[in-house]
Amino acid sequence: MLDQKIPDTIIKVRDSAAKKGVKALFRMHREKSHLIRIGNNSVSLNTSEDLTRLDVEVIDGRREGSCTLLGDLEGPGIIENALQVAVTKAAVATPKVYEPIERVIENEIEEENQFDQAIEELDSGLKVDTYSAIMKSVGEDYNYSGSWSSGSTEIFLSGTANDKFAWRIGTDQQFNSVLKHPEEKWELADFQSGWQVGDVTAEATVEKYLDLIEVFKKPGIRVEPGRYTVLFGAQALAEILQMLIWTGLHGRHHEEKIGWMSEKKAGDTILSDKITIIDDPANLHTFSFGFDLNGLSRHTFPFIEEGVLKNLFYDLDTAGKYGKKPTPHSGSLSAVMRAGEGLTNPFEAARNMGRVLYIPALHYINIPNMSKGLFTGSSRFSAILLEDGEAAGPIFSTRITDTFQNVFSNVEILSRANLSANVSNTYGRRMPEAFAVPSYMISNEVKITDSAESFQ
Amino acid sequence: MKKERLIKEINSGIERIMAEGADFCDARYYTEDSSETLTLYDGNLESNETTFESGLGVRVLYKGAWGFAASSREVAPAVTFKNAFSNAKTASRLVTVPLKMDLNPPVRGKYFSPVVEDPLNIPLEAKLAFLEDLDKKLQGTHIEHRIIEINLQRMHNFYWNSEGSFIERKLINCFAGSTVMALDSDGKMQMRSKVLHTPGHGTRGWEMVTKPELWSGRAEGIKEELARLLEAPELDFGKRSVILLPGQGMLQVHETIGHPLELDRILGYELSYAGGSFVRLESIGQLRYGSEKLNVSAYGSIANSPGSFGFDDEGTPERDYLLIDKGILVNCLTSRAMISEVNQVAGRQVFDQSGGASRSTAFYRAPIDRMTNVSILPGNDGNLDRIISATEDGLVLDNPKSWSIGSNREHFHFSCEIAWEVKDGRITRVLKNPTYQGHTLEFYANLNAVGDSSTWVVEQVPNCGKGEPNQLMEIGHGVPVLRFENVITGERV
Ligand SMILES: [Zn+2]
Repeated sequence: MLDQKIPDTIIKVRDSAAKKGVKALFRMHREKSHLIRIGNNSVSLNTSEDLTRLDVEVIDGRREGSCTLLGDLEGPGIIENALQVAVTKAAVATPKVYEPIERVIENEIEEENQFDQAIEELDSGLKVDTYSAIMKSVGEDYNYSGSWSSGSTEIFLSGTANDKFAWRIGTDQQFNSVLKHPEEKWELADFQSGWQVGDVTAEATVEKYLDLIEVFKKPGIRVEPGRYTVLFGAQALAEILQMLIWTGLHGRHHEEKIGWMSEKKAGDTILSDKITIIDDPANLHTFSFGFDLNGLSRHTFPFIEEGVLKNLFYDLDTAGKYGKKPTPHSGSLSAVMRAGEGLTNPFEAARNMGRVLYIPALHYINIPNMSKGLFTGSSRFSAILLEDGEAAGPIFSTRITDTFQNVFSNVEILSRANLSANVSNTYGRRMPEAFAVPSYMISNEVKITDSAESFQ
Repeated sequence: MKKERLIKEINSGIERIMAEGADFCDARYYTEDSSETLTLYDGNLESNETTFESGLGVRVLYKGAWGFAASSREVAPAVTFKNAFSNAKTASRLVTVPLKMDLNPPVRGKYFSPVVEDPLNIPLEAKLAFLEDLDKKLQGTHIEHRIIEINLQRMHNFYWNSEGSFIERKLINCFAGSTVMALDSDGKMQMRSKVLHTPGHGTRGWEMVTKPELWSGRAEGIKEELARLLEAPELDFGKRSVILLPGQGMLQVHETIGHPLELDRILGYELSYAGGSFVRLESIGQLRYGSEKLNVSAYGSIANSPGSFGFDDEGTPERDYLLIDKGILVNCLTSRAMISEVNQVAGRQVFDQSGGASRSTAFYRAPIDRMTNVSILPGNDGNLDRIISATEDGLVLDNPKSWSIGSNREHFHFSCEIAWEVKDGRITRVLKNPTYQGHTLEFYANLNAVGDSSTWVVEQVPNCGKGEPNQLMEIGHGVPVLRFENVITGERV
């Protein structure tokens, strides 16, 4: 945990800035990150990083400037210098045509309800043992890869708008494991997420692998382009949901008619009535942040309820430009897609449904046309063709290119079980993000546009 | 901490780790890794940001396994060495093929990017005045949104390793792009953009950003093309030729030649994130990757490019070598430990030296195999007009809107900003929402025209993502105009 020196200095610099009439927000971010990477049944990298960053954002009338430091913040005058850089940049900035919205810390808050000291200090030997146990239990003839990121993130916010501060420390971990058949080239994967020791286990992965390996002994199947019933697994669903939210529910995309929901307004039916998507920071399948990175307090926030559009999210610039209220969504989103009534076992749910493509994860999703809501991505791990709920065999690399509207309107069954799907990335600074999603979703008439003749 | 004391601590850290039994150790200290991002969105300066990073990263190889540690705290070099060594020791508990660095002679040298005007030393007022002026040029009655973004980077770092190497580098990058957008006749948003490219030679400071022929001079052009897109019909599904302008050819070479030829991907070290490669070790020297017209170089002596950096992040001088020679795969993008593993496993010398492609995005990330300047060499099929005149039924495509690639880079789906229809050797009309897809080897086998050097430019990529923890890397691609036949274009109904 951070010693008090940096927050104390920030508060001193803040107070002297406030006296001079400077409008500034200070955001300190400290991470202690660890990641172990597995490749070819070996540890290919074991890395740890201890990094402290400071962002200073300054508003000067209609002008804004900002500075980010990643370095030794404890040196003399460093924080003051960062403020000066931002002040100087703001002074000569091009003025905006609208009034910038000042970042105000709404409520004083101190949070550590998702912090496990043992994760911050996790011995990387435990990770090595976990991957070793998976290999030993499933069979050492396969090729194993994976990565397991864990660490702590500490955020401290303070601004000149008031005397309040917001502080959070939390831990998180993101685990994945890939099993590849050395000759056949098919791949299985497992994903786990959590914030405390014990959330990730070898047993959970082993169980999934052993179930799937039998299916993958059958010959691979090429799926011709056409429309299919698709059973999306939790990881695929979370990744599509992340894109759906970004392209459809971002206030900027809506106001500027860039997104696929831009012709819709609150109250319009846009998706199947089975679909409810909310931001719920209290949901423990997600990483729970009580405030966003601009100091706004977070609360339950409905985006879509039973297929009806309720709210969009607005960043500070979009809100300022279009006269809206900013919403507390800078940073980690706690998206929750409400579970349905389907049987817990996806294969049983697909009984009597004929041909169903089971696609647990998608590789490289992108948006060929945001205005139309068109996304594309290909199957990769653990994908199977089901015939009336029975596994007919693994499917070769298969591409889906379809619209969010189609996939989320033609929903046949949503699982009754909710899972946590970790959607964090490790670019730049540590910022854990996980969604709570049904363990599967079955949609009809999903468009398959291409397939390969192998798993390659 | 004083620089002299820090250097002493780094040298003694390397000595200590080696004395304690490490196979190899290197350290990178960044005194400065700065960048400035300015974004004008509809004339509003939405980003006016300066970042400044500094710190130390240490990598240790112990019994065939890598440990890495980094810290932004200047007081802690000894702790960072200790953590890296401890991480390597733990990693060494699970090793099947021990990684090796095969002893190299020490490398000593300096590399400074060729620059006249350091972009971070130009007064902010002058940079904003230039952007505001460009923003005025992008305005028009049919334009609904305008976005201009520049990202200017300056990095100064020092490299040491246990072989006695010592390298100093100062790298400068200038990235810039401008986009105009408007609603088409169906009420859907269309866009047209221009990204700053380099001529491959000359200097790469602020003076490059302000050269009209490299970026800002295209303002009128992209506005006119957007106007035509607004009234254009949609591209329908079907097979035809595609002619890729460098703005799109850059993505094609990046995703379907560059990434599959990264040796760590080929060996399976990226499977848990970016994916693998359809290329196998046996493919090197054997695989017909494309038609005889396909010649691809890893560096290409490009003086002015973000993929030119003097020495890679494990001290290997950058090299100029062919990856694909007349359609045959002959080499890959390599680093020292990866080539050593291949040679060990193959029991013969598949690679004689590192390709100098081990690169890291920041002091706090360990280097991985990366693209440098993966470039398609110019051909002899003339300029763009000549290639169009020799095309019966095709599309000219420019600038990516989306890219989605199979996990082993075996197939791809790309969408572009604009298509010009070509019928019987002439451009007939503009078509909107173009997409095309293909299977990599089949696609390159159908490469049937490569433009001459008049069509060749170096496109800049600021954000190639790879690795865990994730890293973004700056890359250059020299690309001429390219034509492929028999390509699936448009979307199935
Ligand atoms: Zn890339």
